[in-house]
Amino acid sequence: MIIDVNTYIGHWPFRQVSDSTPEGLVNLMDKSGIDMACVSNINAIFYRNVQDGNEELAQQISSCKEFKDRLIPFAIINPLYPGWKKDFIHCIDDLGMKGLELYPTYHQYNLANENAVELLNMAAERGIPVHLPCAIENIRQRHWMDTKEDITADSVARVLSLCPKTDFIITNGPSPDIANSLMPLSQKRQGKVYYDFSRVDLLFFRFDNFVKSVGADNVVFGSVMPLQYVDTQFAKLHFSKISDEDKEKIMYKNLKELLKI
Amino acid sequence: MDLFKKNKVVNWHEHVWFKPGTRELNVEQCDQLVQYANEVGMDILVCSLPIAGGMPTPEDVKLCNDTVALAMKRHPKVIKGMAFINPGYTREALDEIDRCINELGMIGIKLYNHYFASDPIVRPIIEKCIDLDIPMLWHAGKLTVNPQSQPFLSNGEHFAKVAQAYPEAVILHGHIGGGGDWHWSLKAMADYPNIFTDISGSVHDTSIIETTYKMMGADRMLFATDGSFASGIGKILGANIPEEDKIKILNNPRFERYLERGMK
Repeated sequence: MIIDVNTYIGHWPFRQVSDSTPEGLVNLMDKSGIDMACVSNINAIFYRNVQDGNEELAQQISSCKEFKDRLIPFAIINPLYPGWKKDFIHCIDDLGMKGLELYPTYHQYNLANENAVELLNMAAERGIPVHLPCAIENIRQRHWMDTKEDITADSVARVLSLCPKTDFIITNGPSPDIANSLMPLSQKRQGKVYYDFSRVDLLFFRFDNFVKSVGADNVVFGSVMPLQYVDTQFAKLHFSKISDEDKEKIMYKNLKELLKI
Repeated sequence: MDLFKKNKVVNWHEHVWFKPGTRELNVEQCDQLVQYANEVGMDILVCSLPIAGGMPTPEDVKLCNDTVALAMKRHPKVIKGMAFINPGYTREALDEIDRCINELGMIGIKLYNHYFASDPIVRPIIEKCIDLDIPMLWHAGKLTVNPQSQPFLSNGEHFAKVAQAYPEAVILHGHIGGGGDWHWSLKAMADYPNIFTDISGSVHDTSIIETTYKMMGADRMLFATDGSFASGIGKILGANIPEEDKIKILNNPRFERYLERGMK
């Protein structure tokens, strides 16, 4: 079984992307043998009122049994925008969303902002994990209207202390460096910190060393479909020397436990 | 992964490096690179050792190339060399090309970001490569964020100017997935048949291979990794292009003669 923590539907404004509908995403999942995927709506990042994007996502997933069974919706919330608290509660309690996803560099706030901290603590109270994609596209190719920043270890470090019970999933960034920087803080908290390996290569044992250093219990599978080729992630698992037991944790067991599915 | 096991795979953009804090070949890393290549199904690694910053002297350049030559001797069946050249020292650069190709058995040259490809200072180097019938691999990309970090980094537009002036030159855009606006470079290069691109780099955006294929064709694409094995493998496996063209990219027949030359 494979559960992918980082996928999208919706329109990416800066280049043409195929398979950006729920149908397209599920087709990609079928082709690569992925059973379930956490998914958010890219439109929500770019709408002034992000909640419209969350409603779109919920509507599209609820339109088909297969989508409901295989796509796990994550709510994107902008904690600076009016109604954010009500929107978050509605997404979790009424729309059945299983995770919270934040884009501080797009919505132009600091993660340690008072509202953001309140939101992160609300997520912990409800047992909702928080997904922090460090980036969407590689920073060196950003469109002139795209953000010029990525989420950094420093910006996460402050909220690890301010929100000690919140579970974080950090993806699509320099995971070994971020994990190394956050390790002392992570170990003192009640909430867990998970990392994907989408930007860790297999060469020179980098993937294996990363898993050893953070522990297989803290690593999850994230592909960035449909914006990135998923085969890149499979190549790492294929050539890795880590145990089958650890691979299973990474491919699905950790997320299954975290998301209670 | 069968595609890699069942077909000849030539990786046109890799590196060997100095051991940290020394000016000696990092033997352990070099051996691991070859071991990994063998494991994933790459048959040939075309390697160079460029100096990215500053203005390397002819002595620096020679040391880099001697180090690559050591790696070639250590793994003669796997490692082929590309000579690192700084066009800023014209006479020494031309002598170094002769030395690397004719004495050390290298098969092309590697240029970094010391000058734009279209800078007149590079012309004697281009003409020398035409005379010797060797390809020029360029560190390349169109950086959209912090472009001042590499002010003389060439992109597709620079190569187009060179291709127009020298239609007989063989220009290889390094790492189309190396970071930067790959659409920009592809659009600029598409109409020049003597510009090729390798597919290396850590960027594995969906459609990067399909777009390169559509704009340049498999005949002008070369498999490569530049330190990102998983990305290189994933891009080829995931691309929606015919299998016979994937096989062509893995060992582009138009570049085979350079490999044979290196074997002499």
